[in-house]
Amino acid sequence: MFDAFIEGLILVLQWKAFSLMLVGMALGFCVGLLPGIGGAATLALMIPFIFKMSPAEAFAFLLGMHSVAATTGDITSVLFGVPGEAISAATVVDGYPMAKKGEAGRALGAALMSSLLGALIGAVALALAVPIVRPLVLTFGSPELFMLSLIGISCITSLSGTTTRGQIKGFAMGLLGLLISTIGQERQSGSLRFDLGMMYLWDGLDFVPVLVGIFAIPEIIDLAVRGTSIAGDRPPENLSSGVMEGVKDTFRHFWLVFRCSIIGVFVGIMPGAGGGVAQWMAYAHAVQSATDSKERGGFGKGDIRGVLGPGAANNSKEGGELIPTVAFGVPGSGAMAILLSGFLIMGIMPGPEMLTKHLSLTFSMVWTLAIANVITVILSLAVLDQLAKLTYVRGGLIIPFILLLVFVGSYTANGQIADLIVTLIFGVLSYFMVLFGWPRPPFVLGFVLGKVIETYLFISMTRYGFSWLSHPIVVALMILMAIVIAYPYIQQRRQRSREPIHA
Amino acid sequence: MRKGNLIFCIFLIAVSAYAVLTATGWSFKTKLFPLAVGIPLVTLLVIQLLLMIGGKEETGESGAMDIDFTVDVPSEVARQRVFGMFGWIVGFIASVYLLGFPLTVPLFIFLYLKFQSNIGWLTTIAITMVTWGCFYLLFQSLVHIQFESGALQTWLGM
Repeated sequence: MFDAFIEGLILVLQWKAFSLMLVGMALGFCVGLLPGIGGAATLALMIPFIFKMSPAEAFAFLLGMHSVAATTGDITSVLFGVPGEAISAATVVDGYPMAKKGEAGRALGAALMSSLLGALIGAVALALAVPIVRPLVLTFGSPELFMLSLIGISCITSLSGTTTRGQIKGFAMGLLGLLISTIGQERQSGSLRFDLGMMYLWDGLDFVPVLVGIFAIPEIIDLAVRGTSIAGDRPPENLSSGVMEGVKDTFRHFWLVFRCSIIGVFVGIMPGAGGGVAQWMAYAHAVQSATDSKERGGFGKGDIRGVLGPGAANNSKEGGELIPTVAFGVPGSGAMAILLSGFLIMGIMPGPEMLTKHLSLTFSMVWTLAIANVITVILSLAVLDQLAKLTYVRGGLIIPFILLLVFVGSYTANGQIADLIVTLIFGVLSYFMVLFGWPRPPFVLGFVLGKVIETYLFISMTRYGFSWLSHPIVVALMILMAIVIAYPYIQQRRQRSREPIHA
Repeated sequence: MRKGNLIFCIFLIAVSAYAVLTATGWSFKTKLFPLAVGIPLVTLLVIQLLLMIGGKEETGESGAMDIDFTVDVPSEVARQRVFGMFGWIVGFIASVYLLGFPLTVPLFIFLYLKFQSNIGWLTTIAITMVTWGCFYLLFQSLVHIQFESGALQTWLGM
């Protein structure tokens, strides 16, 4: 085992594999920064280039690119409030307010360092978990995965308000997101739903135009209203020390980063959930780490923990997603499905052989995840000061470029003008949501998870009728969900009961 | 603000109720999920509306996990800027429809910098040219995104 571990490292460090990994990382860096051009789409574009590579070279190239895209996606989320990747959306919620407070350097430092730790924890999990994860994955069928997805939504919605009534809005937004996700062809019967007679809606709404509209448009409008730079008229922070402060924050909240990384790994292992869920579950967990409702109210206004949690989870989930892909040939996400085709092109069949005959190749993937992220973070930390200065550029100069990024990004979804209109519609909706205090994260999570949840619900009902509701794991997950929903109330009550003692 | 919030809530109820009513006419498989989601949604929204009408919604409640808009700008100025910005966005989309992306990019950057941001001619032209070059190199030459030509070019047979 140890020999294979070292052999895996040697495979990655061979000059050709290492050079290809650097090329992949450079591509991933750009892809991560550009909104709309997703890591999965780029993986698909790069697949034809691996035909002449050895397996170790091909995976160094592909995984180097994919893992780095998740890391750098946080940069545009923090600087401009535009998610560079779909999996970086949660970073916007607290990262961008930090940039507005003149703490872009700190937020970027924290995002990158937590991403690095997350990636390393994900890589370690991949190395350790492959032999033991099989029973876990096989235990989770459609009913359990359905419940797990519901817990994901419950986590975020239950924390949406600082008061009980605020939670009604949170749950309503989560349900609205789920309802919007039903637009288009229903997968089981092929019937069209809410298509308004438009062919564009037959495939449903693409994630990118909706997400970019939801998060970027209100931020751009607010920037235009303020008429200042993103950081406002605040005196520039000492950017270098800001970045280092962010790095230190990562270690100050190490256990939060660790727990969020584990959430990322766990969600990554579960097929279908993906990074879109991992980041929000981690964000919800970060919010839960607040000791009282007042502290919780600081989330969304620039709490560093809101950057650390998603940053760690969206990178650790890469290692998690690789576990079922490598061990059973069950891809955990769209990107992993594309990577799976890379396995087949290389003539490698995922499964038990990856733990015996190709063990060194499996470990080379672990090393690629770790090395690519270490190099990226070190290089990025060197240029973060300069990037953070962008938040002090006059708003009037920067707005047209952000708009350009937003609309080119959304256009890449289907290459139609309708993508831009969808972005505008959801931008307007999102503007009013922010204006009137209806939380956006539950809406986004509902929208992301809608199709997955419906599929799991349908399979559960078809296969088990209503009897799936009594499956032991389903019951346990239901109890867990009830605890998740009740947690803010319990926390409030405990706080109230403590108050007279302090008084 | 309170009136706006009420209207927004009523709008959400109308959209959700429309979705639920539409779904009731579908087959069981097709309507199961939209109804499972839509009915509780309408219920929650109605409760929220009643709370707002009854004045029971707590004022000044800051929704956790989301940003707050700036309040430092006088509301009249803020309103003008919001409409102005949405105007630019709608103009951008209309221009993409009529002229296509490759022509809209330099046109939009030029017009915005010159007339919205009041940047000097030389700087505006220089930034526009650099942006156009970067856009062409990155999205058209490198990533090969196929941008549709504008409706105007199609009508003119260009």
